Amino acid sequence: MSAVSSPSQRRIVRQLLFALVMLPLMSAVRAQTIVVIVNPTIGVQHLSRREVTDIFLGRYRSFPSGASALPIDLDVSSAVRRQFYLLLAHKDSGDMGSYWARLTFSGRISPPFAVADARMAIDIVANNPNAIAYVDRAAVDERVRIALEVTP
Amino acid sequence: MKSLPNRLTQWLDARVRGSIVTRTTLAILVPAVILGLTFASIVSVSVERSEQQRAEIRLQQLLSTVERTAQIACYLKDGKLADEIAHGLISNRSVSGVTITSGTATLSHMDNPVIHGAERASLVIERPINSPFDPHDVVGKISLLVDHAAIHAEAASDSRASTLALCLEVGLVAAAVAIAVYLFSTRPIKAVSNELHRIRFETGARLNVPARNRLDEIGTLVTDVNALIASREDVLTTERQLRMEHEVGERKLRLIFEKSESGLFVLDDRGIVESWNPAFVRLLRLSPAHLPQSGTTSLQQLLPSYATHLGQLIRQCVTTGQSYDLDLELSIQGSTRPAWIGVALNPIGPTTLQGVVNDITERKQSELSAKELANLATQDTLTGLLNRLGLNKGLSAAFSREAAPELAILQIDLDFFKEVNDAYGHQSGDRVLGHVARILERNARRGDLIARPGGDEFVIALVGIADPFKAEQIAKTIIAEIQEPIDLGADSVRIGASIGIAFVLPEGDSPEAVQHRADAAMYCAKRAGRGQVRLMQASAPPRTGAAA
Repeated sequence: MSAVSSPSQRRIVRQLLFALVMLPLMSAVRAQTIVVIVNPTIGVQHLSRREVTDIFLGRYRSFPSGASALPIDLDVSSAVRRQFYLLLAHKDSGDMGSYWARLTFSGRISPPFAVADARMAIDIVANNPNAIAYVDRAAVDERVRIALEVTP
Repeated sequence: MKSLPNRLTQWLDARVRGSIVTRTTLAILVPAVILGLTFASIVSVSVERSEQQRAEIRLQQLLSTVERTAQIACYLKDGKLADEIAHGLISNRSVSGVTITSGTATLSHMDNPVIHGAERASLVIERPINSPFDPHDVVGKISLLVDHAAIHAEAASDSRASTLALCLEVGLVAAAVAIAVYLFSTRPIKAVSNELHRIRFETGARLNVPARNRLDEIGTLVTDVNALIASREDVLTTERQLRMEHEVGERKLRLIFEKSESGLFVLDDRGIVESWNPAFVRLLRLSPAHLPQSGTTSLQQLLPSYATHLGQLIRQCVTTGQSYDLDLELSIQGSTRPAWIGVALNPIGPTTLQGVVNDITERKQSELSAKELANLATQDTLTGLLNRLGLNKGLSAAFSREAAPELAILQIDLDFFKEVNDAYGHQSGDRVLGHVARILERNARRGDLIARPGGDEFVIALVGIADPFKAEQIAKTIIAEIQEPIDLGADSVRIGASIGIAFVLPEGDSPEAVQHRADAAMYCAKRAGRGQVRLMQASAPPRTGAAA
């Protein structure tokens, strides 16, 4: 049987292993809630999951209102980033890597600009009306507005 | 237009009907080709169908390999990425065009530069493309234009190959059959046929059985033909011998017919003479002027005095189918002696009779003289009655037929005969004896024996009479008639008679004994005074009867 070697099954196995490793941390991870933040001045009250997905995965680089959008990624090693894409696009970090790698040669779209931590992301969003980022809810301050709470 | 079918028929006669090889080969080849073509067309249809299915599966697989990339391209509406995908797909030789769309926008469209073939494409394979991040979100579509001609050509080349192989096989089989038929059947048959043409009958020549066909049907056929030749020759030889024998026999018969002492002739059912031999003319004493005319003269005309009798005989012969013969007396001019011929008629067909004529004059004459001699010995020449010998012979014959024949013996003795004889002479006596003989003949029946054993003594043996009364009646009648006056010309005389009667004893008797008893009874009657009848019954003394 070659079932184990099929890509989707391999992915499931990998996700299971990942879950096993992450199990002790789960309570901590679950405690945190990821939220999508925007600059209050851009006038965006609320974004749908889909609108958020389209912006972060490069489909559109604009808000529904038409204003251009500048997505800010967290560092590759960030657990929040991993959790964010897993919840939003059902992709792990490996999948995301290959997704962006496919697009690099076309040159039209590049991955979001990545920052080291949530503080930097919040600062950028607070200072740039077009910026959009995702962070742990706990880190959010009043300078930014929460446009979407990313739930499982 | 008319000569074409004729020419075709001629050609068929010469090439096909005249050759087993051609016919057999055609008989195998034609159905094989028809079957082969049917098979090939079925194969090509199924090959094309399966080829099409395979192509579709192949293209679906092809689409699966590029699907993930296509998802991204459609999701991002990335024309470059879409071009890259389209380029990869178009390199497949059965794809004539690729279109990748996202919503209403065409991300990429490519035609195969070699095939040029949107117009040749007859099959479109489409696959909706989902978002890479949301399987329920359709973000685009890939359409493949499939070059049907390419698939068709592939299928055709496949089925062509199998058809070619089939044709080759059929051709080889037909050739093998043709060679085999020629080698194993036609050639040996032709050889035997040539030999049969050259063979001469009645030389003892036979066909050679081909060594290789000794045990098969051709060998059997040749053996049978040889047997036929042998039997044919036997029949010919026998027939020739029979013909020779027949000729000899016919000559012999002709000679016998011509030289025969017997007259031979053939008649039809009306008596018309059809053929005859010289002896026939000679025996019938036919003069040259009266020779029969074949087919017109009848036997009745040749023997006019027997015409009626012969006519009856011929009819009888024809109706009964039996042979008849007849003795004829011919009166011959200038001869006192009659000539006799015997004519025998034998039916030999429904309307044909064969006849034999023999001269029987000598036999007839000797028969007549023998009869005369025999009569002399047993007859009384004076009265024509039996003499003593004749009487004894007659009685012996009766006793030899039966041990005790029913007979009444009447012993008759004339009274006063001696006186008549003395008074009127011997001649008158003889006339009286003749007169008495006639009376006796009148009163006896046919088959009774009437005799004059001697002198004036007469005996009658009445056959079949055992009743004394009846015998006595007869005796009394005889006495009464004898007592009538007898005319002797100038005078008339009267005589009388005494009669003694005896019967054959049923318990056993002899001619001598019964005659003796009758004699004794007659003497009794005489002693009783003439004109009397006495009966002797068994050994009892004679009973007295009344005188007439």
